[in-house]
Amino acid sequence: MKLSVQMVVVLTSVGLLSGSFLATVGILTKERVELNKQREVEAAIIKVVPGTESSTKLYEAKDFKVYGGKNQDGTLIGYGILVSGIGFQDKITLMLGTDISLTKTTRLEIIEQKETPGLGAKIEDEDVFLKFWEGRDCSQAISLRKPAVKTAEELAASEVNTITGATISSESVLKIVNNSVEKLRQLIKEGQIQDGEQDVH
Amino acid sequence: MSTRSIGQEFTKGLWNENPVLRQLLGLCPTLAVTGWVINGLAMGLATSFVLIFSSIVVSIIKKLIPSQVRIASYIVIIATFVTVADRFLAAYFPDISKDLGPYVPLIVVNCIILGRQEAFSSKNSVGRSLIDALGMSSGFVLTLLVLSSIREILGSGTYLGHQVMGSWFTPWIIMILPAGAFLALGILLGIALHIEKKTKSRI
Repeated sequence: MKLSVQMVVVLTSVGLLSGSFLATVGILTKERVELNKQREVEAAIIKVVPGTESSTKLYEAKDFKVYGGKNQDGTLIGYGILVSGIGFQDKITLMLGTDISLTKTTRLEIIEQKETPGLGAKIEDEDVFLKFWEGRDCSQAISLRKPAVKTAEELAASEVNTITGATISSESVLKIVNNSVEKLRQLIKEGQIQDGEQDVH
Repeated sequence: MSTRSIGQEFTKGLWNENPVLRQLLGLCPTLAVTGWVINGLAMGLATSFVLIFSSIVVSIIKKLIPSQVRIASYIVIIATFVTVADRFLAAYFPDISKDLGPYVPLIVVNCIILGRQEAFSSKNSVGRSLIDALGMSSGFVLTLLVLSSIREILGSGTYLGHQVMGSWFTPWIIMILPAGAFLALGILLGIALHIEKKTKSRI
């Protein structure tokens, strides 16, 4: 066989075989991976909306889902917004908890991120980043405090801390949060958020 | 072709040609994920899986691959097994998969794996390649285990998540940070070289 032909044939068949093998593996593991993600989401709602006993899916679109957290009596006590947006290098998936009137954040959880380890990946860090997201005023757009401060008391009501050395990742999270709060407010106004459509638990 | 005995083929990976301590290959995951024993172990096993299966496949098809496209073919084969390992971890060990994050996909560019294909599997029989891969993997896993043990015990006072140090012990936070990885690896390399020198001078 001519060398050039052999090169093409070998590379193509290696690629094809790998591709089909991976497709099989992908199909076999897909269900379990999805199940793990769903479990993680359920655990996250309980975390971001304190006092949640059960949760309901209220709205679903691509990369934007809204869950409702309910207390023991079944009263809606807050929203958990599961949303994905572009980070520094890849998608960031996070869940933001807000109160029922959409004026205060309760908690932020990062579900998935591939930011730079040691810098942007600190968006998962409780003490550096996440704790500053509790109880922020989200009736207006939240802004970033630069340079970073040490305690939450130094921040204005609608401010959150920046991660030193990871401004882009901090800004990405901020943008995702502000957009999703705005989107949810719009949806509520349009009457598209209805309670009790689908029980998660 | 290698002229070693089968036993030597295996044991060379443990000490004489240990991928981390003697060849200084694969240092990125070695430094990055050894803060906790469980992560070091998972990374070691995932890398072993990729190395063993890539070596088998490469040694089987070594005669079919024209040398001009060998690196590309090896990388595709390696990437396939890395993706399998990544999916497996995501499906069955979601917590570990989340902790290891981008370092599992990064096994593709781990020099140990491509290095063994280029230096060994592409020139030796399937059997020998398998033994070589097993030896190198064991060397890698053991080194990661030692390194992560040092770092977890000193850095958090725990072993595999269980408290092993008394309440008098203040964890050395630096050991679980990147700087601690360099310190621990540097000292480990120094000890390895020292032992090597001592044993050589005795002969």
